[in-house]
Amino acid sequence: MHVELRHITKTFGSVRANDALSLEFAEGRIYALLGENGAGKSTLMKILSGYQPPDSGTILIDGQVVTFQTPADALRCGIGMLHQDPLDVPNLTVLDNFMLGRREGLLPKRNAAREALAQQAGRLGFQLDPFRYVDSLTIGERQQLEIVRLLSLGARLLILDEPTTGISAEQKHALFSALKRLAAQEGMTIILVSHKLEDVAALCDEVYVLRGGKLVGHCQMPTPIEALVTLMFGQSLPRPTRSAHALGEEILRAEAVSLTARRLTVRDLSLSVRSGEVIGLAGLDGSGQSDFLRACAGLQALNSGRILLAGMPIHGKRYPELLRLGVAYAPSGRLEEGLVDGLTLTEHFALTAGNGMWINWRGAATLAAEQIARYNIRGAPHSPVQTLSGGNQQRALIALLPKNLRLLLLEDPTRGLDVESTAWVWQQLLARRDQGAAILFTSPDLDEIVTYSDRVLVFCEGKATLVTDLDDPSRNPVERLGELIGGKGFGGKDSWVAWRGGAAPR
Amino acid sequence: MGRLARWRGAALTFSAALIAALTLIAVIMLSLDKAPLAAAQRFIEGAIGTPSARADVVMAALPMLLCAAGLLLTFTAGLWNIGVEGQVTMGAIFATIIARTIPRDVSDWGIFAALIVPAELLLAMLGGALWAGVAALLKIRGGINEIFGGVALNFISVNILLSLVNGPWRVGTFPQTAPFAPAALLPRQPELRLSPLGIGIALAAFGAVFMALRSTRFGLQLRAIGRNARSAGILGVRVERNIFWAMVICGALAGLAGAFQALFTRGRLLPNISGGVGFMGVLIVLLTGVRAAWVLPVTLFFAVVPIGSLKLATSLDSAVQIDATLGNVFQGALVLAVLIGSGVRAGLAARRERRSEHG
Repeated sequence: MHVELRHITKTFGSVRANDALSLEFAEGRIYALLGENGAGKSTLMKILSGYQPPDSGTILIDGQVVTFQTPADALRCGIGMLHQDPLDVPNLTVLDNFMLGRREGLLPKRNAAREALAQQAGRLGFQLDPFRYVDSLTIGERQQLEIVRLLSLGARLLILDEPTTGISAEQKHALFSALKRLAAQEGMTIILVSHKLEDVAALCDEVYVLRGGKLVGHCQMPTPIEALVTLMFGQSLPRPTRSAHALGEEILRAEAVSLTARRLTVRDLSLSVRSGEVIGLAGLDGSGQSDFLRACAGLQALNSGRILLAGMPIHGKRYPELLRLGVAYAPSGRLEEGLVDGLTLTEHFALTAGNGMWINWRGAATLAAEQIARYNIRGAPHSPVQTLSGGNQQRALIALLPKNLRLLLLEDPTRGLDVESTAWVWQQLLARRDQGAAILFTSPDLDEIVTYSDRVLVFCEGKATLVTDLDDPSRNPVERLGELIGGKGFGGKDSWVAWRGGAAPR
Repeated sequence: MGRLARWRGAALTFSAALIAALTLIAVIMLSLDKAPLAAAQRFIEGAIGTPSARADVVMAALPMLLCAAGLLLTFTAGLWNIGVEGQVTMGAIFATIIARTIPRDVSDWGIFAALIVPAELLLAMLGGALWAGVAALLKIRGGINEIFGGVALNFISVNILLSLVNGPWRVGTFPQTAPFAPAALLPRQPELRLSPLGIGIALAAFGAVFMALRSTRFGLQLRAIGRNARSAGILGVRVERNIFWAMVICGALAGLAGAFQALFTRGRLLPNISGGVGFMGVLIVLLTGVRAAWVLPVTLFFAVVPIGSLKLATSLDSAVQIDATLGNVFQGALVLAVLIGSGVRAGLAARRERRSEHG
């Protein structure tokens, strides 16, 4: 089966996630789709697998134009997608899940299905007990089940989205050898969506690289890793030099912190931040950088270690208390956790300003009007916040931050903002820094991290490495961070594979 | 959408729902060979035709109003305090602790006689608050949804009540206490069954809740929590503390409603002492869409129904005589119809918005 994508374009609001992408996938080959977070990989694969339609562009299978309304349509044409979080039904058995989505009569044929399951799994070298419940399986086993299910439903092109996140080394080995066998012996097409260069090097024949929604590279493997990193992250502009500034006292100190992120545990994180410093937290999505921010805000518990705020342990303090001590946290999901859908701007300012029992509504409205003018928010005091645009919601969130801050914890502060709003946000944040606040922020955009950070903490595979010499002129800083994030930075491959293998499966 | 248009929409929904509920009742009556129109006339006369009937309506409204006032706080904070029934029951039980010990003759108590009723009411509030506090702690510390905690606590409170009136507090052949002494009862006007003190307390409680929601930080914080507790926390609201106090205040008001039931409506403690006023409060708050300004008229409306149905049930004319539970059917049907109507209206509004966006 030969699949071709022609001029696929998809826009979300002002963001062009896919910009006239044209890619080809031939039978029997294993492709990698590389790119950093937000490069447009997932959007493209969701279009190819029928989860969302493109704004424009066509999909051709063996020269025929096809359109998909649903993932089931795509699967009927032979395209199956394995999601990062397997889309199975946890409280059913393996066999029940395998039978889901089969087009059969009213009475499913369990025995036939059981034989088919055993046969398919055996062919790929997977071991799946048909009567175990799915929620007792590891992520790796759930992936195996999903692959077997997709194949039995006739998939000829298999898309795997970050399949090696959260599975053990043996499971990865089994997965890769099964994929290689499928491609070589049965002519299946495999697309691996990943930002892990190791996996790409180990598995793939060809690589497509996306950046900012555009196709920036198409190479045959083997290609040197350095070349791929350059393609993925681009050649960034020289780092702007920061004018000399005096650092103040130590504001935040993390001592041997261990905390649990979505799929891995970050261990032995130590950091000292002084007033007036900006620390960027880099890493793949879910590597623990957001969790560390939340821990500093008292919103997430530590496994061990401690965090001190100006010498005082924050253990046992909740966020509202820390807020009064000058710590502010701004999450990336503005309407999910930041602003209150349904309340007006005036009500937000009334909520955050003042402490008395009674609310002075007139005063709150005046304050709201002042802040709206000062922060250039497009909205009125009586506007419910959900009616504001993303950029204006971010402005409102910054306007709501208390005056005298010592520590600002920001999760992706410029998510979804255009260039102008991004520049404005940073102007406001750097003004806070110059007043003596320390800033910790995460961002999927390495350029942003390199541009604004004094030091960078890179989260990768459960470790946090501090990078202090970003100004080293011999290396491109973005490229260097890219390698560290991809797991090439410390101790070589073996050390983290060993750690992985030892990690308890979920 | 303007304020006027919203009002008109709400009024329209309510009238449509009222017609739907009345139609249902009429169909039921016709199928039983009763005369709906004659019954309606009889119902209205019985409920609001005489001063004593009107007094009955007002007094029946008071415990519902107290529960609805408390529930306004919890519903605003997004808490489904289904445990309100149990809180009413505990209030009645706690009031009885004092009431059953008061002798018939307290003429030599002097100034202390005037403290009996306040002490009973305070104890009742404590009982309700205690029960609500347990549900709140189960939610905050134990992560147990307030609905499940409330249902369990309702069950426990009913069994405590039954074991008391069947056991140590039982007087006579029926499972109930002896009638309370006059000094233990809520003072009332002899000619109409009206208690000015009760009316004053209920209105004051409702007014306080109304003001709290409108112009205090507590009220605004509850609204923020109800809309989005995570965001409220990030904005510096102490979510758990506010949830706790909303529940406890609601429990205290429900306890007060329980005391009304024991010390006024029934005059003794007996099984089913709450008479469902807690759930009635839930229905009222649901019907108003958690809008405090609407609670007072809706509560009065809800109080008319049982009084009127009682008059129908005791009527000698077989063409209109019908069981009083039909009134409950009417109330339930009305609330459902209003909720459905609001849902339909929201759906239509969303569709209109989508259409105006596209074209």
